[in-house]
Amino acid sequence: MSLNKDALWYKDAIIYQVHVRTFHDGNGDGIGDFQGLEQKLDYLQELGISAIWLMPFFPSPLRDDGYDIADYNAVHSNYGTLEDFRKLLESAHGRGIRVIIEMVLNHTSDQHPWFQESRSSQNNPRRDWYVWSDTDTRYKGTRIIFLDTETSNWAWDSTSKSFYWHRFFSHQPDLNYDNPAVREQMWNVMKFWLEIGVDAFRLDAVPYLVEREGTNCENLPETHNILKELRRKLDEQFKGRMLLAEANQWPADLRPYFGDGDEFHMAFHFPLMPRMFMGLKLEDRKPITEILQQTPEIPPSCQWSLFLRNHDELTLEMVTDMERDYMYDMYAASKTMRLNLGIRRRLAPLLSNDRRRIELMNGMLMSLPGTPIIYYGDEIGMGDNISLGDRNGVRTPMQWSGGWNAGFSTAEPERLYAPLIHDPVYGYPAVNVLSQRESEHSLLRWMQRIITVRRSTGVFGRGSIEFLHPANHRILAYLRKLGKDVVLVVNNLSSTAQAVELDLRSYKGNILIEMFGNNIFPRVGDLPYLLTMGPYQFYWFRLRRV
Amino acid sequence: MEDGTFLTDDFLRQLINVGEVDILVGLPTHNNAKTIRSIVHTIQSGLLRFFPRERAVIINADGGSRDGTPELVTGISIDDARPAPNLNALRTLHSISTKYASSPESGVALRTILTAAELLRAKACIVMSPESANIESEWLSSLLLPICRDGFDLVTPTYRRHKFEGLLMTNLLYPMIRALYGARIREAYAPEFGFSGRLGCQFLGQNGWNDGTDGAGTELRFTLAAITGGYRVCQSFLGEKDHIDRHAADLVPTLRQTVGALFSALESDFPAWSTVAGSQPVPTTGPDLEVVLEGVRVNRKRLREMFSTGVAELEAVYQSILTPSTLAELQRIARLGEEDFHYSAEFWVRTVYEFAASYQKSVISRDHIIQAFAPLFRGRVFTFLIENRNSSANDVENNIEGLCLEFERLKPYLLQLWKSRE
Repeated sequence: MSLNKDALWYKDAIIYQVHVRTFHDGNGDGIGDFQGLEQKLDYLQELGISAIWLMPFFPSPLRDDGYDIADYNAVHSNYGTLEDFRKLLESAHGRGIRVIIEMVLNHTSDQHPWFQESRSSQNNPRRDWYVWSDTDTRYKGTRIIFLDTETSNWAWDSTSKSFYWHRFFSHQPDLNYDNPAVREQMWNVMKFWLEIGVDAFRLDAVPYLVEREGTNCENLPETHNILKELRRKLDEQFKGRMLLAEANQWPADLRPYFGDGDEFHMAFHFPLMPRMFMGLKLEDRKPITEILQQTPEIPPSCQWSLFLRNHDELTLEMVTDMERDYMYDMYAASKTMRLNLGIRRRLAPLLSNDRRRIELMNGMLMSLPGTPIIYYGDEIGMGDNISLGDRNGVRTPMQWSGGWNAGFSTAEPERLYAPLIHDPVYGYPAVNVLSQRESEHSLLRWMQRIITVRRSTGVFGRGSIEFLHPANHRILAYLRKLGKDVVLVVNNLSSTAQAVELDLRSYKGNILIEMFGNNIFPRVGDLPYLLTMGPYQFYWFRLRRV
Repeated sequence: MEDGTFLTDDFLRQLINVGEVDILVGLPTHNNAKTIRSIVHTIQSGLLRFFPRERAVIINADGGSRDGTPELVTGISIDDARPAPNLNALRTLHSISTKYASSPESGVALRTILTAAELLRAKACIVMSPESANIESEWLSSLLLPICRDGFDLVTPTYRRHKFEGLLMTNLLYPMIRALYGARIREAYAPEFGFSGRLGCQFLGQNGWNDGTDGAGTELRFTLAAITGGYRVCQSFLGEKDHIDRHAADLVPTLRQTVGALFSALESDFPAWSTVAGSQPVPTTGPDLEVVLEGVRVNRKRLREMFSTGVAELEAVYQSILTPSTLAELQRIARLGEEDFHYSAEFWVRTVYEFAASYQKSVISRDHIIQAFAPLFRGRVFTFLIENRNSSANDVENNIEGLCLEFERLKPYLLQLWKSRE
């Protein structure tokens, strides 16, 4: 199997997000590595995904799980060597799986040699690679992102007796993108990995590249200019590669990151995700349709990236105060589950391990407009460990089997980078790949099935969306269209059975073919199309005129 | 209409789409286009402010409006009702409407609302008046919170009233219900009230909807059913209540709705009220009545004239209803000039009790009994107005309390009349 040559491959992709450290340990030291990940590529191929997104694997003091990079042109020794990475890349490509890696443009670790040089003296040639100030009063209109740990975006550097700017942790100084040398250097870093063969970058924290007095220092035109320049170089030198933006912003603020199709190929749709959880709990489609109606059109070559959960907390930055309070009360009753402005939990525990709700949420993930991302372990319903600090509770070892160390590593258990999940519900003896592979009705098998169905048509990745507005607000229904292909999606957000009448008169004469079982449903006529739906049930129908 | 097809198919379809709710707001209307828009906005605003997480629906039961009232109710967007810029509705808020063919006073509106509440499994409901020009969003909180938070089943309102407002309530309904049923509910027949889903279901199942009473007085029977059924009742202060001018001609239908309903209920409720002694206050949020002194003008002279004329013209009717001594006393009073006229509290209570007993005996058509009651009520009101023309708020309240005690003291007289009936 080889990679398809379509330049818009990301539109049809199903992305699997994984941290090398968490997935599989190939050398028995208790830490996942490239070798281990390569050994599990067959599993990912069988699951049906078409791309993996690797979290940062660069040399780092690991004070922010690798998002504090100390060397951009190497790999952390915990995970293997650059050669190991090359082998992984080659094996993945051989299976038709593309590889997306992280690129943290905004900041480095304070251990990075660039910062060490920069702080060493006010006259160092790299002094201007970071944002320095004699006072901590500049850029006052800028919010603090990590509210739980930081009190200012400025930190005092006792070495050079001045303040440096950081939007995240204080050990992550922001690079100064007003300096052309920085911009050139960061393109060189990207080029280094592109030449090795990576298919795409997930560019971290892109709204914060440039600072300007009197602004909130987010989404500035200067930042967009820098990103456009990177895209221009990418298109010129590496055709078919992709840039994915991490910008936790409202849809209207996100739209400029697509430019005229000349900035990012893809961007995460952050505001949608919490509203899917909200809609499910409220049993009301309103939050979902509302945010999607506020979502602007994007250029034809661009794509939203959708997700249910990821390595971070379920972010509640892009909701109102009232909505945030509701989400906390419904999904994070215990304060230990809350972090910053979010909820640090995995999918299955968030949904009370209710198989029907997990399926419905994945059904929406796979059928709403965008490219879905599955967070490792969620395909088997892994749990979390909220007693671990920060966001580490959702970054525990992948549960491959009920055996030694859950099949993750042959090391002594105390050497594992993080403890395994042991609780009776989500512990690895109960939730693991091996047992789910052997059960025809497991969540894993169901995930394989839905991915297969999703990939059977291009309509989900590339089609338009048209919402239906049945009077029953518990039903979220929409039509996805691509050319002559039309798919009707009907989701029951309610915990109880519902009847719904759909206005399908414009499709009079079509029959409905349910896409999972390929069974035929009655022909559409003049009357509203009546469906009865079980709790949390969803349907995907292909419309066909016969 | 057959009981099984009481709701229209269209309304049922709308209910299916609404599904289970936590809060149901019932809005009975009849040609209320002038006021309905602001009322619906206020209701929406109250739901947004005080119950943003609850599943809610506004149910409009319309008695055949010809001014587009139902269309206004269903067409009003919640987006216009945001009480604050950052206050968004979390949920879909449905506003649905149905029309019924009977007269607006027939009780069909309440029956429709109760049926919808049962089908939607509403936990807490309120009925709001479409005529209250001064409705405030806080009213929703006042009427619903005692149910949602404190587990009450019926929340009746209290208002800030002028001392001469609500005279039927102060001179008859409140004191008589208090004396007979033992619960000091100031507004047993109110245009706004809240109730629990379980009380609604119970009443819906028990009330004789097709008992030939034409549904009149259903709202009052609802309150009485809550008391006799042992449900938890409380009162909530709503504040100012706009005075709606009613012409004298409105009195008889109002009496039919209230006094008639009360007299009618006494028969079925006899086991309950006959054993009650004294009365107890009900839990109340805020004052149980606030009296203000300014405002209402009443044509006292006309009241006395209508009393005297009525007593003279209806002598034959009163002979069937009242004891000879009571009738004689009425005739004596009717002959008195304005300065000497006095319809005492004790005599008023005796008159009322004799009417109640005669109503049970159906000595003549019950409707005629109610019509004959109207002049006497006007006579009593005349005395009340004279007695209290210079009274302070406290004095008025003391006089009402005195009347209540008189109703309680003379309750054995009613029981005696009742037994003589048997």
